[in-house]
Amino acid sequence: MKRTNDFLVGATVLAIGAFVTAALIWVNQTEVGQRRHRLVARFHDVGNARVGNAAVIRGVRGGRIEAIELAPGGWVHVRMALDPGVELPRDPIVLLNESSLFGEWQATIDERASQPRDETVRRQIVEASGGGAVVPGATLPGIGKLTAVAGEIAGDVASVANRVETAFDDDAARELRGSIRNVAQLSSVLAHTVRAHASDLDSLSGQLRVAVGSMNRTAGTVERMAQQVDTSASNGQVRQIVSDAAVASAELRRAATQIRDLSERFATSQGRLDAFLANGDSVMAKINAGQGSLGLLVNDPSLYRRGDSLVMQLHALVQDIKANPKKYVTVRIF
Amino acid sequence: MSELASPLQASIGTHPTERSIFTDPVRRLGAATRSVLEGVGERARFVGDSLLALRDVRTWGPLATQQARRLGVDSLPIAVFIALFTGIVLALLASYSFTGAVPLYFVGTLVGKTITLELAPVLTGLALAGRVGANIAAELGTMRVTEQIDALETLGYDPLAYLVVPRVLAGTFMFPLVVAAAMVVGVGAGCLASVMLLDLAAADFVKGLRLFFQTFDVEYGVVKAASFGCAVTFAGCWRGLRAFGGAQGVGRAATGAVVVSAVLILVLDAFWAVVWLLGRETAG
Repeated sequence: MKRTNDFLVGATVLAIGAFVTAALIWVNQTEVGQRRHRLVARFHDVGNARVGNAAVIRGVRGGRIEAIELAPGGWVHVRMALDPGVELPRDPIVLLNESSLFGEWQATIDERASQPRDETVRRQIVEASGGGAVVPGATLPGIGKLTAVAGEIAGDVASVANRVETAFDDDAARELRGSIRNVAQLSSVLAHTVRAHASDLDSLSGQLRVAVGSMNRTAGTVERMAQQVDTSASNGQVRQIVSDAAVASAELRRAATQIRDLSERFATSQGRLDAFLANGDSVMAKINAGQGSLGLLVNDPSLYRRGDSLVMQLHALVQDIKANPKKYVTVRIF
Repeated sequence: MSELASPLQASIGTHPTERSIFTDPVRRLGAATRSVLEGVGERARFVGDSLLALRDVRTWGPLATQQARRLGVDSLPIAVFIALFTGIVLALLASYSFTGAVPLYFVGTLVGKTITLELAPVLTGLALAGRVGANIAAELGTMRVTEQIDALETLGYDPLAYLVVPRVLAGTFMFPLVVAAAMVVGVGAGCLASVMLLDLAAADFVKGLRLFFQTFDVEYGVVKAASFGCAVTFAGCWRGLRAFGGAQGVGRAATGAVVVSAVLILVLDAFWAVVWLLGRETAG
């Protein structure tokens, strides 16, 4: 009996122990004999994240939060145990966020390049960077905060609605009704006018149709021309034309420069010629007026005659010198 | 006595009725206080003596597994039965409460948390209080009224080492095992009921179960169950050893043991919740 009791108790202890241990392993998803990776991320604030919350990679549960502890420098370190075989992104960050409306949080492991565009989140990531092996993390606002903001917005909308209600009193409604009536009258007048000018409109539309036809033809012509241009372009003619035009324009530019130089010189010469002519006019005027030696010479015949006589006398003198040089030249050595 | 008192009363000039009006309540209060303190002291001494009797391993050692089988192994069917129906009903209640408001996979969360933290330890403890507490009290009470315990003392056996210690050890050790089995069966039954009776896939139930599951939940339930086992067996032993008055006295002892055990279980449940759960929540 005693041995039976011992066996029964021992078997019960073993069976229940094994049963409960297996159940715990299954519920906790513990991988027996396989080592889990550890990933530590740091945050300023972890919100409502708790030990046991899921760690999610690309939307798939890949581990759980193992520990949350305060760290120096105002940081909170969150240690995650990742399942074997889980590969981290190249430059990982960790975002703590609510995964449901019932206060359940999760740690989302993501790549830094695909972080949210929210300015606050980016700032948190930047601040948490540089921790060595510790991955930077950011906490997204919870549903509570979002609800509070939504509440504020709803309050503002209600306030605006109240103001509109205050502004839109009976008078405003009456005026609006009158305006609508005026618009109705206006539209009926417009319809009448349109009916009255329907023939004009028909004529106008016919002309428009003709114009559109012309435009279509023009467009066809332009298209054909474009095709020709395209063909020319494809044959290299346009390139040749363009290069020739470039050469011609360079030469034209050079010629223009030379013309500009010439015109500048011509302007200078013209200035000088103008001055010369002015001086000449002045001299001629003085000569005509009989001023100066040349004026007297031109305007006084006696001077001419005297000069002519002088020349004749000089001619006779030169003849005489030639004929009788000793009369005029004496050479002595001592 | 009255003859002796009369001259004294005459000498101090006080009327007997007038004196009792003022002194009796005070006397009764003092008597009640003394009675309470005596009760606390006696129980404390009983527990202390039982702990001291742990040294007598030769006496209680051979009897421990026998008590473990009676109190633990033989109690498994009733514990499993209770857990089975508790799990089923809890799943249905959770589904009824969550309809349209909360995702149905939270049935797994609620069943898991409630069974492991509270229902498995307390319901199993209460059931075993009726079965084990009454059994111990009746057995020891019968031994007391038939003077078997006196005979043991005459033969040189320590009744505490021979009768109390094996039962208390068996209860303290086997209650957690029975409760652990009840936890597994209860959660399994909840899962089965969710799959068969509700529009819930087993994977969804498991998802809800794993969502907030912590190993601490099981630790908490198991430690609580150990304390319940210790309290129930001590209460049964205490009542049984103090039984008197024949069969009626044994009946009173059994009833008293069950009542006291149930009260102790609820008090300890609240104690652990305040000290451990609340303390953990505050610290965490």
